[in-house]
Amino acid sequence: MRASEPEMPRPEGGEQYLDGLLARVARGDQAAFEAVYDGLAGPVYGLILRVVRDPAQSEEVSQEVLLEIWRTASRFDPAKGSAATWAMTIAHRRAVDRVRSATAAAARELRSAEVPVPHDAVADAVEASLDAERVRRCLDGLTESQRESITLAYYGGYSYRQVGDRLGTALSTIKTRIRDGLIRMRDCLGVS
Amino acid sequence: MAPLRNSQHTFTGVYALDALDTDADVARFERHMARCQSCTSEVRGFRETATRLGMAVSRQPPPTLRAAVMDEVPRTPQLPALDDRARHRRPGPRLTWLPRLATAGAAVALAAAITLGVVLVNTQNQLDQTQQQLSQARRQVTMTKTELAAINAVRTASDATLLTKATPIGGTVTVVFSASRHQIVVTTRGLPVLRAGKVYQLWLIGSNGNQIRSEGLLALHNGQTGPVLISGVLPGDIFGITLEPPGGTVQPTVKPFVAIPAS
Repeated sequence: MRASEPEMPRPEGGEQYLDGLLARVARGDQAAFEAVYDGLAGPVYGLILRVVRDPAQSEEVSQEVLLEIWRTASRFDPAKGSAATWAMTIAHRRAVDRVRSATAAAARELRSAEVPVPHDAVADAVEASLDAERVRRCLDGLTESQRESITLAYYGGYSYRQVGDRLGTALSTIKTRIRDGLIRMRDCLGVS
Repeated sequence: MAPLRNSQHTFTGVYALDALDTDADVARFERHMARCQSCTSEVRGFRETATRLGMAVSRQPPPTLRAAVMDEVPRTPQLPALDDRARHRRPGPRLTWLPRLATAGAAVALAAAITLGVVLVNTQNQLDQTQQQLSQARRQVTMTKTELAAINAVRTASDATLLTKATPIGGTVTVVFSASRHQIVVTTRGLPVLRAGKVYQLWLIGSNGNQIRSEGLLALHNGQTGPVLISGVLPGDIFGITLEPPGGTVQPTVKPFVAIPAS
């Protein structure tokens, strides 16, 4: 029934409710996991699709990630960050693992030669939510070089050495740009 | 001495974006981070920031994904909690009333019985009244801004329902439930002040009757309590209050004197 709804139900005001749900998932509560799925499947799939690009592979990686959330829910520690961050960190890592293997990287280079990466990092975000709008505004507040480095590393899944190679820039410079850019993004988004 | 360590510190951003090149690089940075409190908190902030970037590209997944995941869940074993062994060594007091909830049928029967005793109202008037209670309570109890915001969000959620029940020991308990937020907000009025040696303890009981978790103790100020926010609530869960010894217990030792379903 839920799966046929056109829009994913999104509770107003953040994802804090997930913290309590994950505690229940850790105890094997499948109904709680369905609620977690409804809250996280969109962000998880969207991020993985962004990095991996191939829809079939993205669905496969998403499935792995969502099952890992089920499997390791007992290891989530709310003292170390939000449930959303815990889940999205797993998702990003898995996506990066998928694209960094040598053959995958080669295949992706070929494909990206045909389909240029959109310049705007969030241009194809389907959900024009307020949060996405804010992220877009904050990205606009970065310097061109900071935005480029963060976008390639996070959305592109490139290592900072690969980012350096692509941009023809020294590694230490890339490292600094990413850190400075993240500090600016963090403050702009009001992350404590 | 410092240069190496300093240069490690500047890897916080690259590390938080999973952009280090090799596992050895990751291991080196994590060794450094274990000794570096400021790195740890910087990485945490960067990860939250990256999460916002990720959320911004959210996409509706194909419906086949849900089916595939839910198919796998029942046959995917879960990792035990890290403190499980400790918990098993010290079992909580035996529940004398819980076994009756153990079957789904019994739980449904109980929920129905509870509902009959509940004054079910969902009018703006009643919600306004809770609002007054909330603002009074706000002056009495110190709460963090985030908590207050969350409480307000539940109260004003478009799907908020409100249930008030008089308790046999006096006073009333009100539960506002938002199914979309998976949260309830509990307020009380006129509960008797307890003699030393007893405290009010809050519980959330899963609809299948075999999951019960403590939601902490209730602090009474002039016969009223501030709003209490409880997260991770699913429709059909039952909220209850028991009288317990000071400090509370791991599992309830007596039957709740008031029980209200989230519905």
